[in-house]
Amino acid sequence: MPLLSHIKSLLGLVLLATLLVGCDAGVPEPNLAPAKAKAAQCVEPTADMRKNHMVYLDVHRDKTVIEGIRTNKHSLNECINCHVVPTREDGSAVHYTDEKKDHFCASCHTYVGVKLDCFQCHADRPQIVENINYQHKLSSNTYHLSAQSVQPDMNDLLWLSQSQTQGATQ
Amino acid sequence: MSQINAYRRKFMATLGGVAVGGLASSVILRTVQAGDVPAKPADQPVSNQVRWGMLIDVNRLTDGGASMVEACKREHGWGNDPKARPEQQAQWMRTVKVTDKLTKYSFTLPVMCQHCEEPPCVDVCPTGASMKRADGIVQVNKHICIGCRYCMMACPYKARSFVHESLTDQRPHSPRGIGTVESCNLCVHRVDQGQLPACVEAAPNAVIFGDLNDPNSRISQAMKALGGSQIRADLSLNTGVRYLGL
Repeated sequence: MPLLSHIKSLLGLVLLATLLVGCDAGVPEPNLAPAKAKAAQCVEPTADMRKNHMVYLDVHRDKTVIEGIRTNKHSLNECINCHVVPTREDGSAVHYTDEKKDHFCASCHTYVGVKLDCFQCHADRPQIVENINYQHKLSSNTYHLSAQSVQPDMNDLLWLSQSQTQGATQ
Repeated sequence: MSQINAYRRKFMATLGGVAVGGLASSVILRTVQAGDVPAKPADQPVSNQVRWGMLIDVNRLTDGGASMVEACKREHGWGNDPKARPEQQAQWMRTVKVTDKLTKYSFTLPVMCQHCEEPPCVDVCPTGASMKRADGIVQVNKHICIGCRYCMMACPYKARSFVHESLTDQRPHSPRGIGTVESCNLCVHRVDQGQLPACVEAAPNAVIFGDLNDPNSRISQAMKALGGSQIRADLSLNTGVRYLGL
């Protein structure tokens, strides 16, 4: 009798394993490409951001709305400016509700099934019509999200030439 | 006797109004000055040492404030919500035409949130979303607004609107969304950076913006010389938005 029960339990295990394998194959992979693209340049370490981004945002939002503190570091606008491209290559607008799930926030939030409330009110993509240099500066002529360098503006050129002449005299 | 006194007071007030109208057009209002809003460091909280206010000379508004309303629409992106009926559209600022029944004399003035010192909208809010900042700006903290619209009922100036529909592509500096109440916030995002509100920039010859607490500011000097009447002064709300030539 114990042999039979062993066989039964073994069979059960095999059945469970095949079921699990079947389930595993059915889970879609999250689109993590947008999230990974800018991870190294973020204002906080990746692991910290992954866990605590809403804590940072909540603290900052109260400081901004109630006390008028408008620093860039944990501002939602700056998250969006850096992590979200306003349009795809075909020119269509990137929104967090899109089926493609290529919006930075939506790519992960839809995968884990956590509702995104921010963008009911906040803009979910940078606005470049009136502000072409919407991304914050990394150096004098490179901006976040732009691999290619943009035209340096006049002030930067002046500053550069000044520092160069100073270097030459020294 | 009290009736006579009331009549006298009214007469004197009218005279004063006429005098103010004459003065205003000649003396005070120059173009907007950069020093009206000193820039605040971004990491510093606003303080109650300042109280922001606005003085609008109705006689010098050539278009009755229509350009101010347009500037507000552009700045905050309201007034064109795709699914709203005309009477549902948000209205942060509007022009109101006033006509004297007897003389038929009429003028138009822009009306928006008056940024009361004692705001009724803040009194009635059940969640604390309707709030007054330390520097006197009255606004809605939409993060905790539940959309009950008590504040819309309480406001004697009809300054608040409700968003009925889902919106996309809002202005990044001016979030607005379904289920929340909204109103003029004196362009907080601009004032915090040392800029003037959008409507003030649109009517630089007719509007002064500045600190009501500073006796040397241009707006305080102008109000000391010329007065500055409140709409519904009988409610004793001590509004931050004042008018000349009403």
